[in-house]
Amino acid sequence: MKDSKKTQTTIPAVEKVINVSLPIEAAFDLFTKGIASWWPLKSHSVGNERVETCVFEGRAGGRIYEIQGDGTQSDWGQVITWEPPRRVIFTWHPGRIADTAQEVEVIFTAIEGGTRLELTHTGWELLGDRADGIREQYESGWNYVLGQLVGRAERTSN
Amino acid sequence: MTDISSLDALADSTRRQLFELLRQGPRSVNELAEALPVSQPAVSQHLKVLKQARLVKSRKQGNQRIYTINPDGLAELRDYVEGLWQDVLTAFQEAADTQAEEH
Repeated sequence: MKDSKKTQTTIPAVEKVINVSLPIEAAFDLFTKGIASWWPLKSHSVGNERVETCVFEGRAGGRIYEIQGDGTQSDWGQVITWEPPRRVIFTWHPGRIADTAQEVEVIFTAIEGGTRLELTHTGWELLGDRADGIREQYESGWNYVLGQLVGRAERTSN
Repeated sequence: MTDISSLDALADSTRRQLFELLRQGPRSVNELAEALPVSQPAVSQHLKVLKQARLVKSRKQGNQRIYTINPDGLAELRDYVEGLWQDVLTAFQEAADTQAEEH
């Protein structure tokens, strides 16, 4: 380990901002619990053509998953922070095991004539040192994912 | 959403540890094998998977092979995610604006 210099491997978060003409409560509900009515399932799902619908369970610890025609469920992620109508944070690992989850935060802000939505997708470091903070928020043990990540973060920070 | 082979490659904990070590700087196979409780042939096999996923690359230096993170592969991954959310948010925006018009 002679080389201690840091390489440029930090990947910036993906950040997206859009405005919609719905009031904040309605925008939040449509984005989360109403997800099945708008999510582009045919192109953005694990089962593609086989997918019937998707579900966003609106609560901390709630699952986000798709349901295929034969009843098969495939997880996309899990809600970490549930603060309607202003903020939701969820893990994201569609088609992959939860160990490789990244994190998506969506912030809703009331603006004139509607709502601004800011989406930030992070976790290129597989949550890295943020995992400790998340563990403090949710010590309930529901999340195998975060347990794994926290363990890893501790190992890598030593 | 299934074609992110680089993330699949990181599903293995040993590969994740190798990847994290390489984030800190270039390492030879020997150095990597010393840092982990894994044999050198096993490390080489894991590095091969990471290389196929374009997460790492290697160069010959003397009689050693030095591994580094492959920024191109990470940038591709980011582009993929960028495109995904663009598509998804466009669909959301259309649905939201349609619902707003109905009221």
